[in-house]
Amino acid sequence: MTPTELIGPPSPLGYPAPYWFLVTFKVLGFTLHMVPMHLWFVGILLAMIFAQRGDVHAQRWSARLMRQMPVIIALGINFGIVPLLFTQVAYYRVFYPATILMAWPWFLIIMFLTFAYYGVYIYVTGLKDGAKLTTLKRAAGWVSAILFVAISFLFSNGFSLMTHLSAWPELWQETSVAGAPLGTGLNTSDPTLWPRWLMMFGLALTTVAAYTVFDAGVFARRESPEYRRWAANFALKFYTVGLIWFAVMGSWYLSTWPADARDQMLSSPLIILTALAALGPGLPWLLIFFQRRQITQALAILTGLAQFGVLALNAISRQIVQNIELGKFLDVTAEPVNLQLSPLIVFLVLFVAGLGVVVWMVGKVWQAERQPA
Amino acid sequence: MHYPAWYVPFLTSPMLIAIIAILHVLVSHYAVGGGLFLAVETRYAYRTNNKEYLAYLKDHAWFFILITVVYGAITGVGIWWTIGLASPLATETLIHTFVFGWAMEYVFFVLEIISAFIFFYYWGRLEPKVHQAMAWIYAFSAWMSLVLITGITAFMLNSGGWVENKNFWVGFFNPQFVPQVIARTGGALLLSSLYVYLHAAFRVKDTALRDLIASRSTLPALVGAACVTLGGIGWYIFLPESAKAALAAASSLNIFMVLIFVLTIAVFAMLYLGPLRHPNWVSPGFALLLFGMGLAVFSAGEFVREAVRKPYIIYNVVLSNQILPEEVATLREKGYLEGGTWTSAWVRARYPNVVRSQQIDEKALLALPEPDQRELGKVLFQYHCSSCHATTEGYSAVAQLLRGWTPEMIKNLVQNPEKFHFFMPPWAGTPEEAELLTKYLVSITPPRPGGMR
Repeated sequence: MTPTELIGPPSPLGYPAPYWFLVTFKVLGFTLHMVPMHLWFVGILLAMIFAQRGDVHAQRWSARLMRQMPVIIALGINFGIVPLLFTQVAYYRVFYPATILMAWPWFLIIMFLTFAYYGVYIYVTGLKDGAKLTTLKRAAGWVSAILFVAISFLFSNGFSLMTHLSAWPELWQETSVAGAPLGTGLNTSDPTLWPRWLMMFGLALTTVAAYTVFDAGVFARRESPEYRRWAANFALKFYTVGLIWFAVMGSWYLSTWPADARDQMLSSPLIILTALAALGPGLPWLLIFFQRRQITQALAILTGLAQFGVLALNAISRQIVQNIELGKFLDVTAEPVNLQLSPLIVFLVLFVAGLGVVVWMVGKVWQAERQPA
Repeated sequence: MHYPAWYVPFLTSPMLIAIIAILHVLVSHYAVGGGLFLAVETRYAYRTNNKEYLAYLKDHAWFFILITVVYGAITGVGIWWTIGLASPLATETLIHTFVFGWAMEYVFFVLEIISAFIFFYYWGRLEPKVHQAMAWIYAFSAWMSLVLITGITAFMLNSGGWVENKNFWVGFFNPQFVPQVIARTGGALLLSSLYVYLHAAFRVKDTALRDLIASRSTLPALVGAACVTLGGIGWYIFLPESAKAALAAASSLNIFMVLIFVLTIAVFAMLYLGPLRHPNWVSPGFALLLFGMGLAVFSAGEFVREAVRKPYIIYNVVLSNQILPEEVATLREKGYLEGGTWTSAWVRARYPNVVRSQQIDEKALLALPEPDQRELGKVLFQYHCSSCHATTEGYSAVAQLLRGWTPEMIKNLVQNPEKFHFFMPPWAGTPEEAELLTKYLVSITPPRPGGMR
């Protein structure tokens, strides 16, 4: 059995928009999703450790992050809808089979997310003025941290299985009843799975560090100068650790790529993108380094933007690798397009109008933040 | 057929969709109606300078966020998650048709989330006008997301003229759109009032304040109930003929319809006698009972809405067993096992000796040993039938439904399911494949119960 035998026919409806449009929104959405996703993936874990073992500033940092976490999670889930939506438009022929082969672990994500999200809320009730972090609340925080790590692993499984078609036949035949998958498979035979997941952990560490600077420079105006200095040092340390981790795991990940992916990504013109994705984290690191004595609002915002750029480069290069991996089996760019022009225009108009309303709302919050407490 | 069929023993995979969908709508309607409640009542509280009521509304807003932003949002994503696993072809079709509908809904989701958090977390820190504006942005965005998703879900029940021209707007503004928007808007108003009664009954000790909350929430509840009734009538009028017939034919749906009817009258009566005439009746027990009845009506309604679509997932577009209606004739000619992406690969891997000139030889299938024929019959069952039937035990288990049938009767059913029951999809295989499926079904069918005269 060859993997291509398991790819169904294209939809008779065709793509509702050109491929470039779909993939642009997929990559943009994934980049936006990565920011909050990194904060819960690694941030909650660090927050739990520092809440128990950190000094007064580390505990303060932990409490600040966890207080923001309900909003971060809500935004993260929301931002995750966009890449998932456009993945299902453009990559449906591999996305559905891959997730069905691991249906139960995939389905578990929803269960885990529900418990993890409520766990965060339970933990946060212990951070309110006059409240106490009881053992139960701490336990809820730890459960959330572990569940978010588990969710990230399951996501890595799903999205790597989507391109690891060579594993499908065996996985299917091992975990099915009369040809119908039980949905109990996982993509653990994929050599790219572990380095890919661990690389994301390293990248998430850098995002947490960059966000610490952003938070200290923009939101933590009422915190003491000592805290802000501590935050700068903490961010520099953790960004450095994350950077090294990212470099090591990224090299490992690169070594597991199929030969054609490596050949293309390491030769002109894509080598430029690979190099930028690899060296990109250097810019936020430098910005954090310059702020090690004092975080300024302008540089903090710049750090946040630079980190967003790092994530965008990562998302773009991932997308290209994904297409190269799939290229052996399926050309996702070759499907016919039946352009839905008027719904697309209505969406874009709403998108711009919505952004305007968001800017207005954030502006009102900004004004409120600047008023004396 | 184009995709692997996820085998969920006992329950069947589409039942997971039904469970999650029902759990979701009980909160998603509150997310809409509750937003409107907070917007209207915050305005009222500011206007009357009622500080106690404002304090209550802040408390309610926290409850609202905990329920809707967390549970509501995750179960909403959960439905999407599950339909992709259980009904991939239908999901593929919906997403290719309505991706920009979902994208528009997403814009409103973002507005909902941001405005809800600002409304709650900046309570007392924004000017009253700005604070109220946040509530109204939320309420409008939430209602718009209801409108947008209703266009898509209503399309599943009656795709209208979309089949002819495949036009987004024709599909979106399908015959079920207006009735369902009215019914769901009414449902949102009604259900949010029930949530308010429940929350206030447990949280508010001051009887005067509780009476105020109860009486102010009753008009929206009654208006909502009227809209549900009006929308429900429209829903029935614009049902496809097959759905009306399914509603009349299925005994479980008859029971649910009676349940909906009786409980709706009871909710009306309780609203009139309770919060409207005697606001002080809104005790925790009364509120819980009212809430429970409201949830029962909604759950039954959602189940009926899902069930009457048979034999389609999307009316006239995708059959319940993941086949496009236009594919049936081809599959009858060349074979379901050959035509299905995954079934074809399965047969080629397991039984290479039945493949001749790159095609599965249907005649050769019947020359296989009996156990292999039954195994292939089981493959056909998994892909052709398991969307609606468990095997020997569980939801609509086929073995229990066929108990005591003769092989001839079973074969006749296999070849003509849509003639036995109009709500079943047509047989989409060759006569040889019908023979294989029959052999499998005969092997699992228990005898007629003993002791009967």
